[in-house]
Amino acid sequence: MAKEALTLKRLVIEIAICMAILFAVMMLCAFAGSQSISLKKVFMSDGAGGIGNIDRQIFFGVRIPRIILAAIVGAALACSGVVLQAILRNPLADPYILGISSGAGLGAIIAILSGISWSFWGGSSITAFSFVGAILTVWLVWWIGRFTGKSQVTSLLLAGVVVNAFFSAVIMFLTSIAKSNQLQSTIFWLMGNITEKSNSVLVTACVLIIFGILVLFSISQKLNVLTFGAEQAKSLGVNIKHIRVIGFAFAAFITAIAVSLSGLIGFVGLIVPHGVRLVFGPDHRRLLPLSAIIGGIFMVIADTIARTIIAPAQMPVGIITAITGGPFFLYLLARYSRKVSWLK
Amino acid sequence: MKKIISAIICVAAGVWVFGNYAKQLSSENALETQETKAEKKNTSKYPERIVSLSPNITEILFELGLGEKVVAVSNNSNYPAKAATKQKVGTFWQPDTESILATRADLIITLWFAQQKSVADSLERLGYDVLLLKIESKDELIEAIGEIAEACGAQKQGEELIERLNEKLEQTEAKYNSAEKVKVLWVIQAEPLRVVGRGTFIDGLVVSAGGENAIGKTIYQYPPISTEELLKCGADVIIQSAMGAENIDRQQEQAEKFWKRYPNLPAVKNNRIYVIESDTILRLGPRLADGLELIGGFLHPEIKD
Repeated sequence: MAKEALTLKRLVIEIAICMAILFAVMMLCAFAGSQSISLKKVFMSDGAGGIGNIDRQIFFGVRIPRIILAAIVGAALACSGVVLQAILRNPLADPYILGISSGAGLGAIIAILSGISWSFWGGSSITAFSFVGAILTVWLVWWIGRFTGKSQVTSLLLAGVVVNAFFSAVIMFLTSIAKSNQLQSTIFWLMGNITEKSNSVLVTACVLIIFGILVLFSISQKLNVLTFGAEQAKSLGVNIKHIRVIGFAFAAFITAIAVSLSGLIGFVGLIVPHGVRLVFGPDHRRLLPLSAIIGGIFMVIADTIARTIIAPAQMPVGIITAITGGPFFLYLLARYSRKVSWLK
Repeated sequence: MKKIISAIICVAAGVWVFGNYAKQLSSENALETQETKAEKKNTSKYPERIVSLSPNITEILFELGLGEKVVAVSNNSNYPAKAATKQKVGTFWQPDTESILATRADLIITLWFAQQKSVADSLERLGYDVLLLKIESKDELIEAIGEIAEACGAQKQGEELIERLNEKLEQTEAKYNSAEKVKVLWVIQAEPLRVVGRGTFIDGLVVSAGGENAIGKTIYQYPPISTEELLKCGADVIIQSAMGAENIDRQQEQAEKFWKRYPNLPAVKNNRIYVIESDTILRLGPRLADGLELIGGFLHPEIKD
């Protein structure tokens, strides 16, 4: 598949097929859960008895919002991974490499420790704090990276690693002085956890993340050029600085939204882009949308496993993504790596 | 460029449709629950189907004589024995919203911390009655008992329970208060060593039982301490929280063996090392006074009834 030339028709068909698979997976997963519910009852208008139609409530009130959230978080992380790998020209880059994880984590733990419980617009204080933490950290890393050195990409990477390490130390300190239930709350957040959110939060997140992905898609052709290296890109008339700023800003933005809603879900942003690249080739016009959709599929499946495998208890979804994602990625690597080298 | 614009338009349209759908759904839900709430109020003022997400709340409910109305509990609600036979709706840390909905509960009682609060928020959004309680000290416990009793229409039992509990706590405290203070090292984890710090709930119990924390004030709730600090703290008694509820005798043996490596500690010299199942005994629930009595017995074996 990867060898054939990319035409618009081909791309549209591929995206359409992946979208169809995504919706099929979402529908299937909506019928899995700790409680068994019947399709007939879900679409009955009203249930008997005073409490209402429980099946309908579980389906529309709990599962559908959660599945949509999982899909959108997976899409954001995978897409952001693609962009950062391209801009930093580093196969190890993931959405968290520029300090987002520790910044958001610091925000979340401050919210948990301070015991602020207000919620606004349907979101919790943890969501708000971690979003602010993530954005501030990225800004800090970007600022340090610009401040130092000529080779911007390297200093950005280093700034990200150092800020990550520093904030992680602060997080460790804060968890060590926390009370036991605050400690548990923090650990669960750090492992990544998808829960139902209110409709207003969900719709806002969907709109913003889809908007971000579209903007990133609009620069995908230039990302292709960027992977040749700065000099080459310049000689081809691409404004590198411009592309970098847009890429970083929007990748960071959608990651921050995803992280503030679901905590730190690892591996998705690293494995999905590489997996898609191995199978479909390195062209970003194809890689970016397909990664987003497949990231969504992967996340929906992982979250469904997380909420059913030890029902009625749940497992943090970050554990599932790492355990299932790792071996699957190794399989892809072994199968395809001889045909397609990374960033060709 | 054209395809990007058309893609944006498509997605915007999709989002708009979805947003409207979600709005419609939520208003439908709200309407539905308003109706059902009104219906409920007609039939009975107080809840008939209660879900408890925490073992101490479960204990309070049973103590108030509401055990029959409890339909489901958290996995670790193991006391009284009848509570353990109730349906389970997830763990203390990770309650499962679906399972709670499926119990058709009309009141869900949860604790106030991030995981349970997020479940409580979801349930409230769906129109369920949720009682959110903060129980982290003795006073909050007393208050919570009152709130639960009121919400469930057991005001009389609530007052009785509060009176009984207060009286017993006062009696126990009075019994041990005049005794000479004993230095207590409360170990929550032996390797690496971590102990209970001042200002925590357990520290309060130790003080009430006529003891004093062997470790001074730190910034930690549960300070990790060095061997040096341990050797000079001069603990008269070591109490160790058991890991899990099984094999307490074996854990006791292991603890005694472990602490032999510090023979100069008064607690080790006099063999005053106790392993207790603190998770169950020292819950902030109706059995709090019994737990206090148990600790008092460890600290002051000389005091008899």
